Amino acid sequence: MYKKRLVQFKPLIVLAVATLAWLMLPVVFKAIAKTSFYEFQAPVSITSSYVRDLQDFWAARTKSKNELYEAGQSLARLNASYELTALQNQTLEEEISRLESLLQLPSRPDFQYEIARVVERDFNAWWQRITIRKGNDYGIPVGAPVVFVGGVVGRVREVYAYTSVVDIISNNHLRLAVVIEGDNRPLSYRGGGSASFAKPLGIAEFVPVDIQISDTQDLPTLITSGMGGVYPAGLRVGEIRRLRQGAGGMFYDGEVELDPRLASLTEVAVMIQIPPEQ
Amino acid sequence: MKPEEKMKYQGRLLLFYGLLGLMIATLLAGVGYRQLIETDQFSERVKVQNHRRIVTPAPRGNIYDREGRLLVGNKPKFSAVVYLSDSGVRSAFRNEYRILVRDYRERGEKYNTGRLQKLARANVIQTYLDDVNRMLGLEEKVDVEKVSSHLNYNPLLPFPIIADLTREEFAVLLESLPVESPVQVYVSNQRNYPYESTASHTLGYVSSTFLTPDENLPGEDLTTFAEKGTFGRSGVERQFDEILQGEMGMEIWVVDPYGFQVESIERRYPTKGSDIQLSLDIDLQTAAEDAFWVWNDKEQKKIEHVGAAVMLDVNTLEVLAMVSKPDYNLNDTTPFISNKTFQQIEEAGGWQNRAIQGLYPPGSPFKLLTSIAALKAQTITPETMHYCPGYYRHPTGRIQYCWKRSGHEEHILWEGIRDSCNVYFYLTGLETGVDIISREAIYMGLADRTGINLPHETGHMIIPTRDWKKRRFDRSWYPGDTTNLSIGQGFTRVTPLQMALFTANIARNEITTKPSILKLTPSAVKNRPPSKSIGLTDEQHQVLIDGMIGSVQLGSSKRVQIPGVSIAAKTGTAEVAKDGGKIELAWMVAFAPVEDPRVAIAVIIEGQELNQNFFGGAHAAPIARATLDAYFQKHPELVEQSPTASVALP
Repeated sequence: MYKKRLVQFKPLIVLAVATLAWLMLPVVFKAIAKTSFYEFQAPVSITSSYVRDLQDFWAARTKSKNELYEAGQSLARLNASYELTALQNQTLEEEISRLESLLQLPSRPDFQYEIARVVERDFNAWWQRITIRKGNDYGIPVGAPVVFVGGVVGRVREVYAYTSVVDIISNNHLRLAVVIEGDNRPLSYRGGGSASFAKPLGIAEFVPVDIQISDTQDLPTLITSGMGGVYPAGLRVGEIRRLRQGAGGMFYDGEVELDPRLASLTEVAVMIQIPPEQ
Repeated sequence: MKPEEKMKYQGRLLLFYGLLGLMIATLLAGVGYRQLIETDQFSERVKVQNHRRIVTPAPRGNIYDREGRLLVGNKPKFSAVVYLSDSGVRSAFRNEYRILVRDYRERGEKYNTGRLQKLARANVIQTYLDDVNRMLGLEEKVDVEKVSSHLNYNPLLPFPIIADLTREEFAVLLESLPVESPVQVYVSNQRNYPYESTASHTLGYVSSTFLTPDENLPGEDLTTFAEKGTFGRSGVERQFDEILQGEMGMEIWVVDPYGFQVESIERRYPTKGSDIQLSLDIDLQTAAEDAFWVWNDKEQKKIEHVGAAVMLDVNTLEVLAMVSKPDYNLNDTTPFISNKTFQQIEEAGGWQNRAIQGLYPPGSPFKLLTSIAALKAQTITPETMHYCPGYYRHPTGRIQYCWKRSGHEEHILWEGIRDSCNVYFYLTGLETGVDIISREAIYMGLADRTGINLPHETGHMIIPTRDWKKRRFDRSWYPGDTTNLSIGQGFTRVTPLQMALFTANIARNEITTKPSILKLTPSAVKNRPPSKSIGLTDEQHQVLIDGMIGSVQLGSSKRVQIPGVSIAAKTGTAEVAKDGGKIELAWMVAFAPVEDPRVAIAVIIEGQELNQNFFGGAHAAPIARATLDAYFQKHPELVEQSPTASVALP
């Protein structure tokens, strides 16, 4: 009788012993185990990413010659337009450099852009993260800002040998110093999480009470302030949709609508700061 | 057991059961009583023991000028704080304490538990501060006593480790501190005065103090930790403190046996105080204040006059500008006034609002009042002529001189006002008598507070009478006192605000005595108590105005002239005894435009050196002119197209 009962409790006992053993393991061992888990998991994610790329390639192969020709033409036009913009940017950069040297301003931080393919998107009620296909192999540092064509994506959280995990700006644990475009007062932006089946949101805190939202004017756009030392100035974060009285009565809290493309990112750029002496 | 023994035993057993039952019933009754009857009382006791209340101040309301420009607002003050109730912090306190105790024991040294606890807490806070120092490139150190005192008295409030962060530091911390860190950026508000020292006395300043919670806040019986709030200390900030204060916020927390927060169970956000709109026009105020700065040849730099100026709207008696110099930068008073700043302001005499607290002999502008009293008493008419040989000899032989020793020869009233002839008014005063002149001054409101809605208006103004002199000096009234009174000298003391009001009343030929620092709505103006008549006929009133116009066009008030604007003005120079010598005071009162008076102004400048010459026309008139000019630049429709306004004089 007793023996039968003991047998029934066996799985629970095993679980309890295993948990206890895990808890008693040294921290170093746990850290190694965790990292190894990600390192072993990475090839699976990367492989599935390559498979998706292959899938896209074969999907493109099914297009007709005319479609491909039109796409090529469209791409050529786009390239021409970008070349022109790049030229203009280069001229402006030179002008800025000239003015900076005239005013004897300190040089601004320069960044190297590492373009990386997104291999995994992990959006849930707890966190919003993406995994990218570059890690230590490309010198990606922890804490580096990550951007895309629509503005800020987030910040590198963990770096592994061939992959990196990026917290995206809707993540509750990500905060940055932002300003409203055309204003120089720094505000706090924090990820607002994402409820199930809802758009990712952010929360702007310390919004001055003279900032108003009206139907007739453009919504206030949040951009990075450049003052926090992580993100360069001027990167788009989102738009303040709604304002409500903040806790202290001195500021508003704002609900920030983020770029919907954040939910379907395929490629991002990691900004790696180049030390001034290089 | 025998049956009789069994019976006996059972009887005792029954008694025992009965007693036991009774005891259990008593216990149950006690439990029932406490559970059912005393429940509320015990719940309250638990609440008081386990709940704490934090009271937070509300941001004060803003203060605007009459055109809606912000004069006083709030500025966020960001600081880096450590939330002491964070479980990580508490566990760090315990660990650090254990480490310190272990170190002492290993060294075999004796230790004081209390002292070690203090040190452990300070060490932990220093660790957090070191992180922040690294992020911001600072080298701040924690004060052990401050940490200890904060934990003893305000354990529920965050402990500030770096106060007053710059924008850049704020931004760096936002991006560098983890969201879940016990170190966070904390925002409080601080009064901000964008115009710094402009209108400082009128606007006033605030002082900080621990809040006394409002009675209507929940949790009145709970142990309360109040953050520092502010209260109006002077000026508008004090006068309208209740309106500006807003409603404080509060949060009730469940705390653990050590007094640290566990769970927030009730919260009420603070509500910002109401805004108020003043009657001041910051353009006029700035113009008047700038005009107090003049070039000094001796010192080869600009110096600031000491004195006051008040400009009123003649029709509504709203204060458009109120200056008192020297003043102080209001931003230096917040969040607190340092001893050094206090001393500097004290030594300069900057705390006094001379416009409503400064008492000065009114000088020659008082001749207008002597004229009114004499005309009403019919001791003179507008045509009454007096001869001025340059002095007046009393029957006792005492001589009082006119300011023009060579004399003005023969004058009628308007000429006497135009030339500010002392002898004319000595004679007029003597003919009218002290009783009538004093009565008239009292009737015009010069003996009482104006009742302006500002705090600390002096009530010590003096309109001397025979009784007053008897009471004050136990002496009789002499004719010399009357002649002094007639020209605004002697014992008479009034404030610049009263003189501005007096000028506005002359401009309108009626008396209203209560000015306002708040912008009045049209209905508020309409519902004011009715004005009373000065009691002059139009002809008599016109004579006064003619005298004042004459003063601008031909007399000592020439420097107030503005092309295209007709101005009526009167200068004055008074004297007060000081340190065995005399200090001169320069006056100017004026109103404009003459045909349809809109604004009245009174300016007084105090001489700073003994026996230094100060004249109304030279020193006070430029300030009046600058302020009037600023007004008419804002109201070009009131400026005539002709290059100079010329009003026909008799």
